[in-house]
Amino acid sequence: MNGHHGAVAMFAAALSFFPPCAAPAAEEVPQRAQACTVCHGPGGNSTDPAVPSLAGQPAQFISMQLFLFRQGDRKDPQMSPIAANLSNADMNELAAYFTRQRPASPSHQSARENAAAGRRLAEQYHCVQCHGPALLGLQHIPRLAGQQFAYLRTQLRGFKAKIRADFDGNMTSVAELLSERDIEILADYLSGLTPARD
Amino acid sequence: MFSAPFRPLVSLSAALACALIASAAQAQAPAAPAAPPSWQQGRNAEQEKSTLHPFAIEVTGKSAKELPLDKLKVPEGFKVEVWAEGLPGARSMALGSKGTVFVGTRQLKDVYAVVDRGGKREVKTILKGLESPNGVVFSRGTLYVAERHRITRYDGIENRLDNPPEAKVVVDGLDPQNQPGHFWKFLALGPDGKLYYNVGAPGNIVMPAYFQAAISRVDPRTGIVENYALGVRNSVGFDWHPQTKQLWFTNHGRDWLGDESPNDTLHVATRKGLHFGYPFCHQGDTLDPEFGKHRSCSEFAPPALKLGAHIAPIGMRFYTGKMFPAEYQNNIFIAMRGSWNRTIKQGYNVTRVSFDSDGKPKMEPFLTGFLVDEKADPPMWGRPNDVMVMRDGSLLVSDDQNGIIYRVSYGTK
Ligand code: HEC
Ligand code: HEC
Repeated sequence: MNGHHGAVAMFAAALSFFPPCAAPAAEEVPQRAQACTVCHGPGGNSTDPAVPSLAGQPAQFISMQLFLFRQGDRKDPQMSPIAANLSNADMNELAAYFTRQRPASPSHQSARENAAAGRRLAEQYHCVQCHGPALLGLQHIPRLAGQQFAYLRTQLRGFKAKIRADFDGNMTSVAELLSERDIEILADYLSGLTPARD
Repeated sequence: MFSAPFRPLVSLSAALACALIASAAQAQAPAAPAAPPSWQQGRNAEQEKSTLHPFAIEVTGKSAKELPLDKLKVPEGFKVEVWAEGLPGARSMALGSKGTVFVGTRQLKDVYAVVDRGGKREVKTILKGLESPNGVVFSRGTLYVAERHRITRYDGIENRLDNPPEAKVVVDGLDPQNQPGHFWKFLALGPDGKLYYNVGAPGNIVMPAYFQAAISRVDPRTGIVENYALGVRNSVGFDWHPQTKQLWFTNHGRDWLGDESPNDTLHVATRKGLHFGYPFCHQGDTLDPEFGKHRSCSEFAPPALKLGAHIAPIGMRFYTGKMFPAEYQNNIFIAMRGSWNRTIKQGYNVTRVSFDSDGKPKMEPFLTGFLVDEKADPPMWGRPNDVMVMRDGSLLVSDDQNGIIYRVSYGTK
């Protein structure tokens, strides 16, 4: 219905709050964000299969995840101690920086048969309704397109097993319906998508 | 649906990961199947493809300087400004006898206290780790807090905000089923000295248990609970008319019956025990397609006013202050948190309800500008949640989207 402009509107909203950067590469990395890029990659584009990319994630998603780590609702031996020391203002500043970074083209190559099968599953399970038609995320819902394959798979298994924090219960009930094979196909499909806004 | 033969062989590491995950899951949570989120309940097959969804709050809050405050509008002669910031998820408000403003939250676990220090507001998080502490009331030195499952009291708290007393239970066991849907509670003190609270419907459109879809009251001296108003899907705002002392309340209509139907409503409970229709009849005149088949709307008390479909009225108060012009006396201000279950969004304002000489209510927008693009996702940058009249007659408005409290005043330049 109104989904086609959802992601665009979100992006426009983000732009209206934060001035657009003319040359993304030239932006100075805030002090606080430098520590993050050690694991999350330069500009928040991760090359580590177990670490998610942050570049171009909706700001609200980033700040909410940091909040969930700090609260202890979401746990990770690496992230939890980092989030424990961040204030709300720090989280908002980090979110504002990483949402402005351009997501890199994915290094992952989806298996050919999974391109169609993955899309079919993404529609069948309504992933596209929440994560947006191009799976770029909006508001507190993350971008999945071009995310690390192993990371996506771990998270989907985590939701299914009810061990990954879920702010509003939306993902747990979706993941419960997925078979291990669905998860494999979806992660492979999503990871190979180019996360382009246009 | 997915039969066993489809199961692929998984690699050893994946199998190990699964085993680990499974054992961890066993330790943490019972293996009950997760129901779909309750906001999806009651959709038809076509609506399962809908992209309409509730909006999440900014759990870390926003600072006022990040917000387009210049968009806010109030009628001629009024002024709106930011009164306090840094209260993520700020919802219901209560006023202490020394001027402390207590603020509850729904999606967080905190209760805040805002103290005015010579024109500068200091925000303290006084209670942490509570279960959706949405409802707050202050009376005779005591702060009462309504969580999803209980109502507690904190005596003498205004003298010890930095070292709050232990909670004393007024009543417990209010959520015996750990219910989905509308489990957070509004709280208000009635003229009879009893605490009134809602127990919402456990889903969008479902048959409630006897204690659900109701406004109930508890006597804080005895802990005795009784239903007061029935058939109320979810009311998270009520107040008593300053003269008639009757209970007025806002109510949220069901979702997934279309953009225009049914209306959210404003009601008056002229006495105890009235039934307001849910789940059988909506907005006083529309039978539910499933639950209303064998019922008639004439069985139920009709609303005093239809407020608009899905517009989400939350906090409401009668205006009894001395600051606003005389025609505002005993008007109602309602915080409209705004619609999500509607393709063209509406609400996201504070609405004024006034009464004509026959006592007939009519409404008009009072504080607007949060809604930017009624077709966008998200359509707004802020969401009014509760209103409260201050001792000087100004009106505070909480915004849980951003964790901000605004102040509307009159005649100040
Ligand atoms: C030592 C490595 C490391 C550092 C440094 C680090 N992270 Fe992380 N981060 C991780 C890992 C690993 C995960 C995935 C955790 C999991 O599997 O649940 C993660 C997850 C996240 C997520 C959740 C993303 C998603 O898609 O769910 C966010 C947001 C995040 N980190 C932000 C940050 C920020 C901001 C910083 C800097 C302040 C930072 N991280 C520093 C390792 C790190
Ligand atoms: C009803 C809305 C909704 C639907 C449908 C939905 N998601 Fe999500 N998804 C979310 C939300 C909200 C989050 C953030 C959850 C949180 O951390 O609280 C999320 C998070 C995720 C994450 C975690 C990513 C990260 O970076 O941490 C993955 C992976 C994911 N979804 C995949 C999917 C897939 C695959 C589907 C379809 C099978 C799907 N989602 C369907 C709302 C939805």
